[in-house]
Amino acid sequence: MFEAGVREYQETYWVPDYQPTDTDILAVFRLIPQPEVAPQEAAAAVAAESSTGTWTEVWTDRLTTLSRYQARAYHLEPVPGRDNQYLAYVAYPLDLFEEGSVTSMMASITGNVFGFKAIRALRLEDLRIPVAYVKTFPGPPNGIQLERDKLNKYGRPLVGATLKPKLGLSAKNYGRACFELLSGGLDFTKDDENITSQPFMRWGDRFLFVMEAVRKAEQETGERKGHYLNVTAPDCEQMLERAEFAKELGSPIIMHDYLVGGLAAHTTLSNWCRRNGMLLHVHRALHAVYDRQKDHGIHFRVLAKWLRLAGGDHLHTGTVVGKLEGDRATTAGVISLLRDDAVPADRNRGIYFDQEWASMPAVMPVASGGIHVWHIPALVELFGDDSILQFGGGSAGHPAGSRAGAAANRVAVEACVQARNEGQDLRTEGPEILKRAASHSPELAAALETWREIRFDFEAVDTPDQATP
Amino acid sequence: MKLETFSYLPELSADQLAGQIRSIVAQGLVVGIEFSAAPDPYDHYWTLWKLPLFDIDDPAVVMTELDACRRANPAAYVKVNGYDPVRQGQVSSFIVYRPEQAP
Repeated sequence: MFEAGVREYQETYWVPDYQPTDTDILAVFRLIPQPEVAPQEAAAAVAAESSTGTWTEVWTDRLTTLSRYQARAYHLEPVPGRDNQYLAYVAYPLDLFEEGSVTSMMASITGNVFGFKAIRALRLEDLRIPVAYVKTFPGPPNGIQLERDKLNKYGRPLVGATLKPKLGLSAKNYGRACFELLSGGLDFTKDDENITSQPFMRWGDRFLFVMEAVRKAEQETGERKGHYLNVTAPDCEQMLERAEFAKELGSPIIMHDYLVGGLAAHTTLSNWCRRNGMLLHVHRALHAVYDRQKDHGIHFRVLAKWLRLAGGDHLHTGTVVGKLEGDRATTAGVISLLRDDAVPADRNRGIYFDQEWASMPAVMPVASGGIHVWHIPALVELFGDDSILQFGGGSAGHPAGSRAGAAANRVAVEACVQARNEGQDLRTEGPEILKRAASHSPELAAALETWREIRFDFEAVDTPDQATP
Repeated sequence: MKLETFSYLPELSADQLAGQIRSIVAQGLVVGIEFSAAPDPYDHYWTLWKLPLFDIDDPAVVMTELDACRRANPAAYVKVNGYDPVRQGQVSSFIVYRPEQAP
């Protein structure tokens, strides 16, 4: 018999003795209930509304086996030092999700619940994606090792630059700026996220001039070069048309803005890249809207995991030292989630769950935004070799121009790698290593002089709680 | 012509070269030597100088082989590679010798 009426969520969805299975997707939310709502009820509401539940009993519940499909809130812990703030753990059965679909995960787990009235604020801090689900995603089209093998670049971070000014250059002048940077010593140049196809420079014209610059820089230096041609477009048809033209011109790499374009469009492009042997650089415009506020939203480590599943070969992660938000330990955690095959839980880095990637290819983290030569020892130390360091203003802002700026950055990176391999400590000896390298590089000497005093010492908004479980 | 890692630094001294080789060996990498008289950024396969040097713990052995390769191929570029058998790929590579008349 069907009993109509309203029951508390916690009667069904708060299951404190639940033992998660190996195939459950596990989520941890930072949860601030409304003052009159018990935390167990609020956590249960999150589990219910992101799985099988709604606000009232419905007769159709009796036509299925809810226990097979319901999510369960199974653990709650207060956040130290925060009043009425909790970490709420929820387990979701695998059958709630479509295979190989990040959009399915996003719609389920971050659907209704973020606007739920009984909850004042909610933040998805981390997700444990079980191996059974990981294996339904193809992941990055190439991965770090294949990229290195294709480009023949080993044993050092790659160096790049975003073209500046961001907007307003003609296609030919833009190609000139690329050529100066690439022949000066950078591996890659990059379209800024707001370069798509505007009246001052249509995409096809940009692609033609930029690829001439790439080819000429390769002939001059004997090194592979590339430009992240942004194919983010008003619709998927045009996105793919631009990707096809990039391939026709012989570009090794294209670029997409995965949050702005959307995960479905992004996955389509990632699949295209895998079929066509194209490297995929991924920008993250919009991310700070989701991830910067500590109490509400989606943490970037979750957005980064989704990107590794949907596929991308490079992803911007922040720099720690530059002009954009990013706590050191948190950023190190995200880098590990992008690159490593098995990542253990580590509260000090904000990682709540063990994450196995089951041989999924790795993503190269990209440090970009307000970095310059003085930051290079710290960046090499933090990011290691499998990373891309991007100096936009830090190249084109050099007193002698882009070519000299590019050379200064390349010299500084190589000097740091050389010194590190010889056993020197980049943390303590960094400035000395740079000054020594500047004695044989007038370009580096001038860069060190220009940016001597530029620092970005602001406290991070988002830091790990360092709570012990 | 630049040719990748360390090509923006002054030529490595014998001591500096030994330091880099020690680092490759200390990481447990398999050391390989390749040479080419006509490097091309799209060419992935230079000529191997013998088989990779498996189970080396003395960097001096590598230095001796690098010298032998250069003497036998004076017009060629000579590079040293480090292969990571766990990662199943190359993780280190740089030019050790350039021909005297290199562009």
